[in-house]
Amino acid sequence: MHLEGTHSLNAPPQEIWNLLMDPETLARITPAISRLEPLGDDKYKAVAEVKLGPVKGSFEGQMAVADKKEPEHFTLLIEQKSRMGNANAEGRIQLNPIGDNQTEVNFTGDAKLSGTLARMGQRVLGGVANSMVKQFFQNLESELKANA
Amino acid sequence: MTYIGKSVKRVEDQRFLTGKGNYTDDIVLPGMTYAYIVRSPYAHAKINGVDTSEAAALEGVVAIFTGEDVKEIGGVPCGWQVNFKNGDTMKEPPHPLMVRDKARHVGDAVAMIIAESKEIARDAADLVDVDYEELPAVVNAAEAVKDGAPLVHDDVPKNMCYDWELGNPKEEVDAAIESAHHVTTLEFVNQRVAPNPIEPRAAIGHFEAARDHYTLYTTSQNPHLTRLLLSAFTLGLPEHKVRVVAPDVGGGFGSKIFHYTEEALVIWASQQIERPVKWTSDRSEAFMTDAQGRDHVTKAEMGFDEEGNIVGLRINTFANLGAYLSTFSTCVPTWLHGTLLQGVYTTPKIHIDLTAVFTNTVAVDAYRGAGRPEATYLLERLIDTGALEMGMDPADLRFKNFIPPFDGVEQEGYMTQVALQYDSGNYEGVLKRALEMVGYENFRKEQEEGRKNGKLMGIGFSTYIEACGIAPSAVVGSLGARAGLYESAQVRVQPTGKVSVYTGSHSHGQGHETTFAQVVADKLGIPLEDVEIVHGDSEAVAFGMGTYGSRSLAVGGSAIVKSIDKVLEKGAKIAAHKLEAAVDDLEFAEGKWTVKGTDKSIGFADISLTAYVPHDYPENLEPGMDFSSFYDPANFTYPFGAHVAMVEVDKDTGKVTLKRFVAVDDVGNVINPMIVEGQIHGGLAQGIGQALFEETIYDENGQLINGSYMDYTMPRADDLPSFEVDRQVTPCPHNPLGVKGAGEAGTIGSTPAVVNAVMDALKPFGIKNLAMPLTPERVWRYMQE
Repeated sequence: MHLEGTHSLNAPPQEIWNLLMDPETLARITPAISRLEPLGDDKYKAVAEVKLGPVKGSFEGQMAVADKKEPEHFTLLIEQKSRMGNANAEGRIQLNPIGDNQTEVNFTGDAKLSGTLARMGQRVLGGVANSMVKQFFQNLESELKANA
Repeated sequence: MTYIGKSVKRVEDQRFLTGKGNYTDDIVLPGMTYAYIVRSPYAHAKINGVDTSEAAALEGVVAIFTGEDVKEIGGVPCGWQVNFKNGDTMKEPPHPLMVRDKARHVGDAVAMIIAESKEIARDAADLVDVDYEELPAVVNAAEAVKDGAPLVHDDVPKNMCYDWELGNPKEEVDAAIESAHHVTTLEFVNQRVAPNPIEPRAAIGHFEAARDHYTLYTTSQNPHLTRLLLSAFTLGLPEHKVRVVAPDVGGGFGSKIFHYTEEALVIWASQQIERPVKWTSDRSEAFMTDAQGRDHVTKAEMGFDEEGNIVGLRINTFANLGAYLSTFSTCVPTWLHGTLLQGVYTTPKIHIDLTAVFTNTVAVDAYRGAGRPEATYLLERLIDTGALEMGMDPADLRFKNFIPPFDGVEQEGYMTQVALQYDSGNYEGVLKRALEMVGYENFRKEQEEGRKNGKLMGIGFSTYIEACGIAPSAVVGSLGARAGLYESAQVRVQPTGKVSVYTGSHSHGQGHETTFAQVVADKLGIPLEDVEIVHGDSEAVAFGMGTYGSRSLAVGGSAIVKSIDKVLEKGAKIAAHKLEAAVDDLEFAEGKWTVKGTDKSIGFADISLTAYVPHDYPENLEPGMDFSSFYDPANFTYPFGAHVAMVEVDKDTGKVTLKRFVAVDDVGNVINPMIVEGQIHGGLAQGIGQALFEETIYDENGQLINGSYMDYTMPRADDLPSFEVDRQVTPCPHNPLGVKGAGEAGTIGSTPAVVNAVMDALKPFGIKNLAMPLTPERVWRYMQE
């Protein structure tokens, strides 16, 4: 399953970078992530609550930040397990400056699903996933405003 | 005849329609425990460890077993050996009860939780922590043999179970195709479908230590074979201490023929914990673990001469067997498919080359029609496409190529190029009748008119043949079957003249309790109510080979007739004694023996009573009236028919509407027309389902992405027209009832008829071939291109 989205925000890349590198903020703005506990080395224990059409449940797994280049890009590696199946996702976030105080945030990712999640969720998943990407950008925007 | 040929209402429907059926999951034994199986969410994954400690601690959990616990048990066997072209034995990797090294398809069993309730077992399953390492998967049969494809079994090179060929020498067929006036070439995917019987599988294992006895209740079409396999192979149980019961079973369509791992697991686990263990599948689990059907990738070529006579047929097929060999999976693409490529045509040169492969998907095995629908699909699509390409009428092209009528008595059976000898047939007869019913010329006119007005109407044909009544043990043995395929029946006449019949043919919707009773009542001249048909319990029925391949009446019914003949022969001896006449001077009719030309007679019940109260009795004759018989037929039976579909395609949405469906089937003699019609109707629905709606879809990671009724489309009543069915009768010359079998006809004939009709409708678009199912989206996209 492929995910992507682009959104322009009124803040310089560095400010956005700082927000995204803060686990508490990241947990707050990422839809379906309810908690991130740092495990060191840019690795986190991640707890997620997801409702996708007929499939609902909580996930537990790991999230790692890799391929970091401050303040330009990083990759999120997510491995989640649950009673309804497992999800393996890789998402690359690219921060492109536009002028002085604006950034285009670009998200591209792929997710691999298994178990019930794959068997029953697939039909509605594409739509839900894209709305989650949208939600992420909106949350990020509100967070920036709150910090301003 | 009082009953034979009459549409007697089904006696079993009283309990089915009033909710009084007794299915495996209805059975509750004292001390019962409930099993839930932890299954792999990955199609292909190494298992680095299974941690059950947290699950074991849950209150109510009785035991947890993993692949490690059953590693000494060999696994379930495959019942049919096919050899490679070079003579090597097929690759036969183990099919363990639970895996411990790696999982090979989504749903592969990893651990089994046994608890005081189903709910506790399910909750505990969530606490089992399996450390998987996901591996790349392969799901497509043609991809699986390519270099570098992931290996499902590490010791099976190229994932190849076997390669196989049948027919005339390859060079002769090549020459016939090369020198043909016209060659029609099509590439097909015969997509994988899920059988979906309404009752999911279930099994109860009950080991009784005090009497060292094992009972298995199971949703099986084939309880005696399951008992044999459990005893001789899977668990090595003492067969005389094993009872297998298949009570009421809610449909099977093939998927319940096979011996499944869960059947062995519940018995084994019951022995470990000394309590009964019940496992019941849910619908999702059924999608993951029931053997599925079809799944061929094929290139097919049919050569014609100038007049349209077929001169050669060349087939190259990859058959997907799934991750493990199921009980009969190896014979489906070979001896049930390649052998049907003659169809009803005089094709002089035929060759099939087939490669059977393993993939990271659930096993494929016999599904209603089993191999014969795949063969019929190839032939019937080729001949309609050939007609289209050569500008000929598809019905005319068929008449030109039909094997002429033969009854198998005056004229010999027809010897095909692909190993079979047809018993009797009149193929032009069924098509002629179907064309009358259709009003063919009228339809063509309407179609022409419609086209002018932008209306897309189409008509499609299918003239099929199938090999049923499976079948002669010596023949199937020489082809690799590891079991005999006869049937057994016991007819026990009770002292009061009531009759209990014990048949090895299991009924799971076919109506044996009615049809078989009609035969017995007529042969003995007694009321239908005086006959009880008993099936499905190995302790009651001495032996059986089960129900599949439309064999119940042709093989099982014939075994009953053999026993009835023995009853009548003995009855005549007793009657002769009582009437003080010679046996030869007696005639039996309407339930009594009469001295010819007199009014001296004695009734059936008087004779049966005498047999059990032998005070005044023939010398040297044993008391009692109870006979067992085994019937091993001389040949398969060969039902055939002509199906015609008429469709309309919506040119804006691509939706196919089936306007009419005409089916003329010849299944030999008919005992109960209503039941035969019901079988045809159900079969048509399933065959049309494959043409228009059904497909199990695995993504590139081997995830089954439509494993629920929300995502997998089953045909519904409002998708189907009111079927117009008729029959022709060409009796089978080699069994005593002259019957051929009706269970699969509908499924085999209907699929290509529907696809041909859609192609005919789409003719103005120049489309020759579309992959099934013909969903609105698929048809619409092609119309846009």
